[in-house]
Amino acid sequence: MRTVQRVGAIALSALLMTAVLALPASAQTQTIETRRESFIATAAARGLDLNLFGTRVTIGQSSALINSTPLAKASGAGVALVAGTVSTSEVTGPNQSAAPAKACVLNLPVAELLAVELACGQSRVDTANGAPSAFGAGSVAGVDVLGTTLLDPIIALLRSLLAQLLPVVDQTVGTVVGTLTPTLGNLLGGLAGNLGLNAGSPVAPVSGLVDNLLTGVERATQLLDVKVGDSTSTATTTAAAVTAIANAAGAQIDLLPGLTVAGAPLLSIIVGQAQSVSTFDRATAKSTPTFNAAVARVRLGLPLLGGSVTDIPVQLNTPLTLLAGTPLESTISLGAGRTVTDPDTGAVASYADGVSIHLLKGVNGGIALELAHAETGVGGQTRLTSQQQTVTPVVPTLAKTGNDPWLPLTGAGLLLAALGIRRRVTAAQPARTQQRVSR
Amino acid sequence: MLVELLRTKPWLRRVLSGLSVLLVLGGLGLVGYPFVTNMWTDRVQERLDTQIASPELQQAYKERKIETGDSLTRIKIPALGVDTVVVEGITPSALRAGAGHYPQTPLPCEGGNVSIAGHRTTYGRPFGNVDQLKPGDTIELTTPIGGCVYRVSREPWVVAPTDMSVLDPTAERSLTLTTCHPKGSAAQRLIVRATWVKDLKAA
Repeated sequence: MRTVQRVGAIALSALLMTAVLALPASAQTQTIETRRESFIATAAARGLDLNLFGTRVTIGQSSALINSTPLAKASGAGVALVAGTVSTSEVTGPNQSAAPAKACVLNLPVAELLAVELACGQSRVDTANGAPSAFGAGSVAGVDVLGTTLLDPIIALLRSLLAQLLPVVDQTVGTVVGTLTPTLGNLLGGLAGNLGLNAGSPVAPVSGLVDNLLTGVERATQLLDVKVGDSTSTATTTAAAVTAIANAAGAQIDLLPGLTVAGAPLLSIIVGQAQSVSTFDRATAKSTPTFNAAVARVRLGLPLLGGSVTDIPVQLNTPLTLLAGTPLESTISLGAGRTVTDPDTGAVASYADGVSIHLLKGVNGGIALELAHAETGVGGQTRLTSQQQTVTPVVPTLAKTGNDPWLPLTGAGLLLAALGIRRRVTAAQPARTQQRVSR
Repeated sequence: MLVELLRTKPWLRRVLSGLSVLLVLGGLGLVGYPFVTNMWTDRVQERLDTQIASPELQQAYKERKIETGDSLTRIKIPALGVDTVVVEGITPSALRAGAGHYPQTPLPCEGGNVSIAGHRTTYGRPFGNVDQLKPGDTIELTTPIGGCVYRVSREPWVVAPTDMSVLDPTAERSLTLTTCHPKGSAAQRLIVRATWVKDLKAA
């Protein structure tokens, strides 16, 4: 009997649990994507763009591009368009990658006027887990501008100018300038001004200086020596943001290296690195551009008038002209950075404008250099979703014409439970009541 | 301990006594459920018997405007002693009559796959023993405008409740009976398939 009561209690518990757990089905919701996320990021950097008397060469160039396809493209060139120094890679679709070997050429002659010591291009792209990234780099170890024949007219001009200095001995700057030919006078006057010398400054022993200069001229075999750092372009994707970074290498440009005493060049232009960064925030769809523009300074290697070699900073938006009025006139301009925003799409671009240098304007058009230029751009839109209530689809079934088997079992369990409760209650009744019941 | 508690608290004894009465009533109701449904169906069949012979239903049948729950056809299975009125529709309330016609299938004796669902253990259990049908057994359908005879063409077989393919149209005139399987459960469905033999003249 005790077992029967226990079975009844269990059946009752099962019934109550079924009633409690059989909760009504709630409406389901599903997330509907109403707009896919899309983005694009580009980066490009140029180490040096050289126009040498009509021959153009771009050195240290890189680019990177990614978008949400996903697509990733990159390129890097030691010397643009020169086979062996250019590396490119591109992939489309998720979970792909490409990283070709670095392309390098040692002692590369370019256009009969340049010799590049080591030019390399590198690129790699990846779209692992649908997050595209691209990297491109272009580098050169050193660029020598040869062209001994080009030096001839320059050397001849310098000899001519220097010869005019021979008769001048121990005079002030103003006197020296006044007694020279206009060409030489302008040259020296310009140098004096650039060196911060005034009319009252004494002049170093000119005869000794001229001897040194003539020796240097005889020794000159190289017109220009350029040292350029790496140029890199990177575009990456993380869970939070898409970022494009372009780094334009710094450079040092020496005009007529080895010309003067102790091997110093006539003119050194030193340019710092420029950087452009643009970022797209994937959560807010906000794009942000920034830049660090290059800085430049000029070092004159001609201790002509007694003053020590001086660094002259190039002021922003203020072109610096040296040796004005002479065939050797040279101008250096420092560009500022800038950002641009599209008001309709929110896409942004950042430009770290580089340094423009025009050397030896009076000699066959001169040498034009553009360097330290970096630019990036990003834009995109976020993914949009909406919640929609869905009606649980009714699966058609053949007509239900049978019982649920737990019904009769539950009924039996209820009866047993009732019996068990009844016996307990009867057992607990007072004795007199039990006797009355038993009668 | 429970007994001691009940001894000291008379109100608790009264509550439990009342509860035991409720449990008895509930248990009897659940155990007696099939018997109750059979009684209910008997009353419904009396009404349907009258309706199927009425001129109004005959007219509605001709116009193909039979409402859900109204008489549609009488099914007779001599091998099982089945003689019951089938209603139009397979809703739970319609099936309280015992058997109902799948509305998406052709009307009885028409071309295609006529399909009828019937209870197996409750509501008169008209299809209680259809698992005993054998190929060759006859099934007769009589409508207000005529009738026909089908012959069981294969052994009954079991399918899942979601297997609606048994109701698919057939090239030949067929009759499909469905009921729950096994007895006392709605876990599966038992299917009987019969093919048309002949038409009966209208009464």
